[in-house]
Amino acid sequence: MKSLIFGLVALLAPVFAAADAGSEWAPETFTLDNGMEVVVLPDHRAPVVTHMVWYKVGAVDEEPGKSGLAHLFEHVMFKETDDLGPEEFTTVVQRNGGQLNAFTSWDYTAYFERVAKDRLELMMSMEADRMTDLILNEDPEGSFYVERDTVKEERRQVIESNPSSVLFEKVMAALYPDHPYGVPIIGHMDEVAALTVQDGLDFYETWYAPQQAILVVAGDVTAAEVRPLAEATYGVLPPSDRPRPERGWQAVAPLTETQMLTHSDPKVRQPEYDRYYIGTSFRTDADLAYALQVGLNVLGGGPTSRLYQALVEDQEIAVSASAWSWVTLHDAGPAGFSATPAPGVTLEELEAALIAEVEAALEEGFTEEAVIRSRNSLAANAIYARDSQAGMANLYGRVLATGGTIEEVLEYEDRIRSVTPEQAIDALRTVFAGDKHYVEAQLLPEEEAGE
Amino acid sequence: MRHLITLGAAALLVTGCALTPDIAPPATADVSVEEAANQSSVIVDTHDGDFASIQQFTTPDGVSVWLVEEPSIPIISFQASWKGGSAVDPEGLEGLASAVAYQMNEGAGDLDALAFQTRMKDLNMSFGCNASRDWTSCSASMLADNAAESMDLIATALSEPRFDEGPFERMRRENLIGVKRRETNARFLASEALEAALYPDHPYASEMTEDSANAMTLEDALAHKDKLMVRDRLLVTAVGAISAEQLAPLIDLAFAGLPETSELPTIPTVDLADPVSEPILVTLPQPQSLVSFAAPGLQRSNPDFFTAYVLNYTLGGGGFESRLMKELRVARGLTYGIGTRLSFGGELATWSGAGQTKNESAGEFLTVVREELVKLVENGVTEQELSDAKAYLTGSYPLGFDSNAKIAGNLMGVRQQDLGVDYFDRRNAAVDAVTLEDVNRVASEYLSPDRFTFVIVGEPGGL
Repeated sequence: MKSLIFGLVALLAPVFAAADAGSEWAPETFTLDNGMEVVVLPDHRAPVVTHMVWYKVGAVDEEPGKSGLAHLFEHVMFKETDDLGPEEFTTVVQRNGGQLNAFTSWDYTAYFERVAKDRLELMMSMEADRMTDLILNEDPEGSFYVERDTVKEERRQVIESNPSSVLFEKVMAALYPDHPYGVPIIGHMDEVAALTVQDGLDFYETWYAPQQAILVVAGDVTAAEVRPLAEATYGVLPPSDRPRPERGWQAVAPLTETQMLTHSDPKVRQPEYDRYYIGTSFRTDADLAYALQVGLNVLGGGPTSRLYQALVEDQEIAVSASAWSWVTLHDAGPAGFSATPAPGVTLEELEAALIAEVEAALEEGFTEEAVIRSRNSLAANAIYARDSQAGMANLYGRVLATGGTIEEVLEYEDRIRSVTPEQAIDALRTVFAGDKHYVEAQLLPEEEAGE
Repeated sequence: MRHLITLGAAALLVTGCALTPDIAPPATADVSVEEAANQSSVIVDTHDGDFASIQQFTTPDGVSVWLVEEPSIPIISFQASWKGGSAVDPEGLEGLASAVAYQMNEGAGDLDALAFQTRMKDLNMSFGCNASRDWTSCSASMLADNAAESMDLIATALSEPRFDEGPFERMRRENLIGVKRRETNARFLASEALEAALYPDHPYASEMTEDSANAMTLEDALAHKDKLMVRDRLLVTAVGAISAEQLAPLIDLAFAGLPETSELPTIPTVDLADPVSEPILVTLPQPQSLVSFAAPGLQRSNPDFFTAYVLNYTLGGGGFESRLMKELRVARGLTYGIGTRLSFGGELATWSGAGQTKNESAGEFLTVVREELVKLVENGVTEQELSDAKAYLTGSYPLGFDSNAKIAGNLMGVRQQDLGVDYFDRRNAAVDAVTLEDVNRVASEYLSPDRFTFVIVGEPGGL
């Protein structure tokens, strides 16, 4: 679900983790003969493992009119194989004390089990089984179509019952009019309702294959232990020779107009204001992404930041104010500003004060002290991130699935610490330049609706 | 994501303290931990358990500490907790415990709010407090290299908090917005309706209001801080790269400024009203209805507690392996998720559940929940269901001990509920000892639909 509703929580989560090469924490990697990549992340604190398989397919790879297929298919992967009966996958995992789930993004699809380390091989054999031997139930009353109804309920719950999520869908469509990031991962309701078993089969046969997959095992294991297990389970699967289209990624076009989007709903009790620009990503422009992270932390990352101090503390015009970017997507992600007005303040007054402060910051630049504090802070997050075994598996899986490398993860601390004050402010001046178009979004109570 | 309900079964048995240390940010240390440790020696009683080696010790100034030393990452998770939370808020000042907690990292000693937050960022540490129904708690994360300076800052916060007007009025603005936002939060509305039906006059049913948010003053909060955070109710746990000898003097420093004791009102045991026979409707304009339900449950001290805990897995606690999930989601596609839980601790024990479905299906959803409860009452669970529940609940337990943060939270849960230092080692045996006969007896005693009060929030149809 974290891939479907991303809010500031996701945006502010640590993007990288520390692991000194050569230490007992150092990742180990190898590739199976069929092309499947393997990453092992040792963490010997508890006798458990996190086992993940990442597929290099996501919502960007859906054909027009088939929105939501990658995500619905992720659900269907839990249904049935030639060896496992209906719903038996989950039964076996939980009967072995395992926790399991999966998630779908625009850029990737991932499945995981967390389990005692002596059950790892069983998890690997089951995950390998459904990579190639899934059975889709063609009965019009059968499990595929019931799962489609479940996804429709998921959409009602996650998007349609949340006014801010509804507005966010409109924003993404406006930011990415000709790019798949403009299409919701969970899909449009009418398109999800029309997806068929045949759509699922075509998707599976096209995209699910060992050379399209990355195995990540984090926890109380070593590469020497994982390799023979991986060879015996995943390694025996032949690579698919079915032709695949290129991934749906493409360069993000600059916005050609500035738009104001509003969404009003009787459930909204507190107006909110956001402004979105097209930012960057580590894949698109790594130097810019590092510098942007540091610059945004100084400008609007938390209570010590310039925006918070000016708008919340000094002017008392807002109760929250932040600047953020989403740089871990494959293609350029959004970047921007968010603020919630204090009681009695209009969104127009809030916007004017927010933009005045941003413009003043871009004009004046940052002190070296503030930049050093922010980059140290971002680098230290990488040390704390190590505490979560599942978080580490997620981090490496996501970086590799979006075309990055292990080395990129390992050098994060050094690169973030090397961002200079000039680079930090220049990154903001580039992304938020005065001639850039943007998308504004106002979340409003019903009675204040524009029309 | 496929599961709505996280399978946090391991955590369920040690609730009470779900503190997730914030990821904190960087800096350099002047005072070494070793220097701070030179002055003390403490007697450590080590419990070498199956899931963690727990060091119990009392600091020279008398603070009781549980520590799990974990050297492999240079960080420390630190938690403190005091019995007494929002339930002891004075009448008319509901929200005061939360206000105290909010102010604890908003300036102390010579440091105003910005200077305090800047100092935390410079040390790459986090420190913050919160108030739950029955507990006031603080948690911190720090780099081992900065432990002495970090604990020194915490000491200043605990003994010389400023409670300045600026942060206090900012909090008031946030609170007033929070009170308004709650008005359309389906889960809040459901729990408010259940409280109003089942224990309307108990302190557990009181919430901050616009009036109480406006009424509370800085002086109220400062005085209340001295009631909540006192030495004789203090519980401390820590996990990370630090020894007992290094930690003890830092803890004494941190808590030296607290009052020795205080008087807090006693919270009476909740006397639940009779269940309401018809579903309580709360109108909220949205495409789905939230169906929420609750019945009397069991405290941990009840001899049937583990039996109910195992039964709850089959009812609605076991994700896709639960009967409610199988019937409502897998078979009918009526919901993204439904779950049930046992809530316990403090003066209230309930067995409750919730799920969402499109408005036009609300009637069918409600009917199916009731039918599944009846089936459990009349026929019980199968041998296979019981053995699956035990296998998951025991097999997944170690997953709750794979991070410093999780271990710190589990330790505090055991301390708050006074379960004993060997609780983690005994817990799986208690699950395994549950019999089919007991499960079916407890099902018939507790799960009859007429014991449950149902609330539906939305614009439900088909009722």
